[in-house]
Amino acid sequence: MPVWQRIYEEINDPNFVIICAAEDTGGEAAAGPIFDAANPTYIQVVDEDHLISSAFNFVNVPSAAWIDETGRIVRIDEGTYSMIHSFGEGEQAISFGTDVYEPALKDWVAKGADSEHVQSVETVSSNIRAHSSDQQKADAAFRLGNLFRMHGQEAKADQYWAMARTLNPDSVNFIRQNLTLTEEGSAGETFREMMGEYVSAGRDYYRPLDIKL
Amino acid sequence: MAEAFMAYPELRNPFEAKPIHPEGSATVLYQGKSITLSNLGRGDGLLIDPADLAQINGFILKAEGACFEDLCIPMNDDVLIEQDGKQWFSLTAFAALLGQPFVVDHEAGVWSFAEIPAKRENMMLNAQAPDLEITDRKGSVIRMADLKGKKALIVTWSSW
Repeated sequence: MPVWQRIYEEINDPNFVIICAAEDTGGEAAAGPIFDAANPTYIQVVDEDHLISSAFNFVNVPSAAWIDETGRIVRIDEGTYSMIHSFGEGEQAISFGTDVYEPALKDWVAKGADSEHVQSVETVSSNIRAHSSDQQKADAAFRLGNLFRMHGQEAKADQYWAMARTLNPDSVNFIRQNLTLTEEGSAGETFREMMGEYVSAGRDYYRPLDIKL
Repeated sequence: MAEAFMAYPELRNPFEAKPIHPEGSATVLYQGKSITLSNLGRGDGLLIDPADLAQINGFILKAEGACFEDLCIPMNDDVLIEQDGKQWFSLTAFAALLGQPFVVDHEAGVWSFAEIPAKRENMMLNAQAPDLEITDRKGSVIRMADLKGKKALIVTWSSW
């Protein structure tokens, strides 16, 4: 979050907005302190029902859409990392993210339609995931589960979250959001097994980051 | 077992059990809204007072059908139903007409509707930002349409 704030301040364009949305059923309790620590001046949303992921057919975080002044989406559904993150040392070391997204974003804000990073309607349309009826139904099931959860009805919450995952197995969001609320957490063995199956099945959770600087 | 990471089991069920709505009512979830309806017709489907339609999905009943902006869906006898001299609007039959998926928990009386496919065509075919209304942490309502004239980065993240 602080990196997005830095980028937002560096761009410093009154005609550019960042809407940063936490896809978090934990609500303010989970996402609020992280937002607050970044002292953000961009628009912050705690999206308990994952409405933004649903609207743009995202299946993982961080994902993003660039929307131009006319309301056209000019890039979408890439692993939206503002930097390269590195953890661990030696053979245990892992890193993820990218250092090309930030300069590409700044280029677009400065040049608009003349930016080489603006994608055509055809490219964007092909990058938007075509969700089936079942996948859209999964969003409805997830929200129903969330309503039950907020009313203290855990069994029904679990029932409809499980339905959501069955109807939309592509949603990493559903997999991880649920695991977060377990003792094991969202990055444990269950997660790794699920992601192994996910990748083996040839499913992608981001579109390829096609940015050349 | 690996050390727990990004684990918030205390947030799994932090809420006390409470009714979703008063006895005899129904709740409709759509586009982030939760609407309680107390005026309901009889039957397995969800029969609502036509006057409640607009607050649920923005559609308004006109002579040519149920209309939202330029989209008008002609009505039929499955959608507009007479019971005891009163007209009801079947939201579930309307969803079938629109190809709009939904999930229902009959025991609790809650219907959760996915987005209407026709409302998404402009995004899927023309890469136009979807019709979306969200509330930020300050309580301000943000509509995608309100962003016109500005460039916007919509970015998701999570605590997990």
